[in-house]
Amino acid sequence: MSSPSLTCGKLASWTIAAVLLQILGLSLFVIGFFPVKPTLPGFSGPESYRAPTCDPVLDAEERDLPSEKLRTLYKELSKVPPSYDRLVLMVIDGLPAEFVLGRGDKPPTKAMMEAMPYTQSLLSGGKAQGYYAKAAPPTVTMPRLKAMVSGAIGGFLDVAFNFNTQVLLDDNLLGQFKRIGWELVMHGDETWIKLFPRIFTRQDGVSSFYVKDTVKVDFNVSRHLDVELAAEDWNLLILHYLGLDHVGHIGGRHSILMPAKLKEMDDVIKMIHMGSTLHQQNPDANTLLVVVSDHGMTNGGNHGGSSYEETDSLALFIGSGVKNLDFSMNAHKASHQVDIAPTLALLFGVPIPKNNIGVLLRGMFDTLTDEQRLRALQLNSWQLLRLLQAHSPNFLCGDVTCISDEDSLQTDQSISTVKENLCYLYSRAISAHNAWLLHQISGLTSNDADDLGYAINSYYDFLGNASEWLSNRATDKPINLLLSGIVIMLISCVLLLNTVFKLFKEVYSTLGKYCSQPKEISQVWQVDEAFVLIGLVIHALSLGASSMVEEEQYTWHFLTSTLYLLFLLTTIRSLFKTAASDLMKMKKPEENLTLLHLAVSNDEISYTTKNRSSPWTELQENHKIYPVLVVLIFGRILRGWHQGGINWVHLPDISKLLVQAGSFSINFLQIFSLLNFMLVGSFAFSLLLLQQPVNAIPMLVIFLQETASIIYFSSYGSLHKQWIEVVAMLFVGMAGHFGLGNSNSLATIDVAGAFIGISNHSTVLSGILMFIITHASPMLSFLSMLIYISLKDMNGLFPSDLRWSSTLQLLIGFPCLLPLVLNSIVLVAFTITLLLMRNHLFVWSVFSPKYLYLCAATVCVYIGVFIIAATVVYTGTVLFMRTKNLNSKLHNFG
Amino acid sequence: MDSGEITASKAVGLHFLCVVGLAAGYGIARVGCDLSLVTDPARTLRLLLVVEGPVIIGIYGWVRRDRGHCSYWKAVSRGLLGLPIGALLNAFGAIVLGAPVGLKYWLSTIYWSSLMSLFTFVPAVCVFGTSRTDWQRILAYSKPKEGIDCVISLPAQGAVIGAWLGAWPMPLDWERPWQEWPICVTYGAIAGYSVGMFASAVFVQLLRRKVHVKDD
Repeated sequence: MSSPSLTCGKLASWTIAAVLLQILGLSLFVIGFFPVKPTLPGFSGPESYRAPTCDPVLDAEERDLPSEKLRTLYKELSKVPPSYDRLVLMVIDGLPAEFVLGRGDKPPTKAMMEAMPYTQSLLSGGKAQGYYAKAAPPTVTMPRLKAMVSGAIGGFLDVAFNFNTQVLLDDNLLGQFKRIGWELVMHGDETWIKLFPRIFTRQDGVSSFYVKDTVKVDFNVSRHLDVELAAEDWNLLILHYLGLDHVGHIGGRHSILMPAKLKEMDDVIKMIHMGSTLHQQNPDANTLLVVVSDHGMTNGGNHGGSSYEETDSLALFIGSGVKNLDFSMNAHKASHQVDIAPTLALLFGVPIPKNNIGVLLRGMFDTLTDEQRLRALQLNSWQLLRLLQAHSPNFLCGDVTCISDEDSLQTDQSISTVKENLCYLYSRAISAHNAWLLHQISGLTSNDADDLGYAINSYYDFLGNASEWLSNRATDKPINLLLSGIVIMLISCVLLLNTVFKLFKEVYSTLGKYCSQPKEISQVWQVDEAFVLIGLVIHALSLGASSMVEEEQYTWHFLTSTLYLLFLLTTIRSLFKTAASDLMKMKKPEENLTLLHLAVSNDEISYTTKNRSSPWTELQENHKIYPVLVVLIFGRILRGWHQGGINWVHLPDISKLLVQAGSFSINFLQIFSLLNFMLVGSFAFSLLLLQQPVNAIPMLVIFLQETASIIYFSSYGSLHKQWIEVVAMLFVGMAGHFGLGNSNSLATIDVAGAFIGISNHSTVLSGILMFIITHASPMLSFLSMLIYISLKDMNGLFPSDLRWSSTLQLLIGFPCLLPLVLNSIVLVAFTITLLLMRNHLFVWSVFSPKYLYLCAATVCVYIGVFIIAATVVYTGTVLFMRTKNLNSKLHNFG
Repeated sequence: MDSGEITASKAVGLHFLCVVGLAAGYGIARVGCDLSLVTDPARTLRLLLVVEGPVIIGIYGWVRRDRGHCSYWKAVSRGLLGLPIGALLNAFGAIVLGAPVGLKYWLSTIYWSSLMSLFTFVPAVCVFGTSRTDWQRILAYSKPKEGIDCVISLPAQGAVIGAWLGAWPMPLDWERPWQEWPICVTYGAIAGYSVGMFASAVFVQLLRRKVHVKDD
């Protein structure tokens, strides 16, 4: 045969080059798109009461002080006396601020007003201060609680990479309170216990797992109230009520259960407030009640995104010192959820947490003296300045120089100007503060109020701008890096496509010469080929719609089932077409009678000699249908096993039924599938053992699907081109990936499974285990591909005089290249989508997690392709050497 | 070829009657019974089935292939028998592709698959009966050779492809009532069926012209 234009070595080097380019482009894009926000390690200590300098000095002695001494030290240094001694933090999960404060200038609806009479009377009487505490997405409980107690908004990767520990390690209010010797008590959502495992003196966690339960879940919190309110030992009492969120999940925002639930919450507020006012006689225990919600809810009762309804959460301060001076309803200010942390810190005399980006809430410090108010703002400014210095070193180090060019104040968007602007605002605030102090000392009382107002406003100008800049840092993306990443990935994709097209031409031109398959198969376009191409395009396009990303399991199942239905159709057609193919098959045996082919051709000879309608051949032909039917029916079972996705995850499915049925049935099924696995094959045994018990059967089902596909494809006279077969196996793998209950949200990762058999904490090992568990199904499909390669009747594909490298190329060309190509197409398409969607509402909740999954899938493809290539090359080499040896021996012998 | 060939005007008229049957069914549902696909899919589909069923079976029985051996009523009874078989095939396809199997949906699934059977399987059964060569031709070769092949296979393929495409909006979270099974799939199927009938009318014309050219 003439030397092929595309040798095996060339093919491999092109592929490796493309893969390396893809890795480079992907890492460039990932670095650009998911900036790792610099955070300050450690805890704020006494140094936070001193002006920030460029070289921080750590006072080890001051840090290790016992709690009592630390408390007095803080009191001395801060010059802002604690306004309260005890804090009741009442978290009402999912309560939109609209229910209490109304929306905009409008008061809440009449039903809502009537549902919370006590709270409304407090608000209208000026005894409570309410804020719209805008929550940052993702609006789910754990990140929101973190934001509330630490004042920081975690970057996306913080959430993603914190899979192995949910403990809040950053500086936070609760840690600060504990350090000054507070006793902390928590009743309610067990998320708090996950965040702070050993901090609470008393705790009673309730689970938010039973969403249908709206009564017991709150009763389990409220039953402690009597005891706790009478108890004197705690300084911080956290009550986290989940019922309202559950009401929303069941019936939406306007559920008929909502007013009753609000009334219940109102009663709790009343009870706590009454209880604390009783204590008022005792001047030592001044209690502040803070009612907050972690997020709001949509009209349908869901949350997680960044719409107004979801981010509209409440912060309500009720205490003796709280005075709402203007009694009107629309005095509630818009603020941010992170503002709660610094406000509470200074109200209770602890340092502001280190990574806080919040700003003191206006109106909460009005009862302090003017000097103390300015001091509080100064402390907040110093803390933010330290954080700014962490983001851009040399920020405002040394002399304050930028105050001179007051004219250069422009609101330009470029970063340096923003920095200069912040620098200027800070200097202005400090100098206004100093000017006011000077006036106080010199006794000039001319326009004291103006000076004070100017200083306060300057501080808030700086704080507001700095806070906004810091919170935008997480979404700040260098466009050049992103574009270059995309271009490199695009080049790699084109390279891969080019290689695969060349291989395609090569293989089918060879086939044209040694045509052994029925003519219709080598004709240019077949239905299944056209469908695969259309399906790939549809899938790539569907990734542009957020709900299609959320519900990708439907897409994969739909495409896979359709492909196998087309296979079914082809098989049925071939049954009807026997008359036509008789002629083809009569010619075939003479073409190449190799040893391996003998059995098959024997069959064919008997086939042609016998009558066409004899029962044996009918059976043979009919058998082809069964593997396809098996794949189809098992595929449907797999689809019903886990509902999956985001929006319809609550619908019943088989796994939920099994969980309800109890552990016996699950164990039974697990053992059943274990036995089956041992019977059928054990090469993927570990993949199954690592899975959750409820996933045992789906794993078996995927395995059987792959086996059935192999049987279908490797039977003689395959009806499809080889690349369609490879694609079909990959499709089954992808459908199985979602069939195992995976989705494109990080929530479905089986974190518990990642610690199987690991004696001590190791991020690398558990990461690997998690990867294996999550991508078990694609891995299985790659391993099945190996079996497929070894079982596939390749005699039709190449003539006997081919060289070893060409054989190798035919064997692993498609199984290695196609996964890379398919993955590359999806990767490039979705990267471009992500770039276009970077300001989309769901970029952090939907598109970014999907991108992480896609990166992991890319790694999975690399590993799978490497396994296939390595195994086949090794086997091929050994076989080749042996044949050579044998040949030379035969020569010698002869 | 007196038995198999179909004239262009006959094909157009046949399709026209099918469309009228569908429209009449939908009109009766909307005006007469105050039903719509969105509010009550099962009953609307049943009504469509009751109206369109006799039309299709009647018409295709009339263009049956083996006129010599097969009476009109035999073709009609063949169609009636084919209806549940085709419905079973269609239901299998739909369920395998992910149609819900809950008790809430099984009535709709039955009616929907019967309607799909009317679009796809019943015409072929009415016309071909159990003739092996005819079935072989229509299944094995995608290119139609005779007019009657077009009339049967193009609308059927259109209905299937339309239903397949119609399923795509179902997972979207638009929270529209028509995203429920089998409403948008039915819309897709009817749209595809109509397109298929139009295409078949055009193709029959083209085929005839070709035949004429050959004859000359």
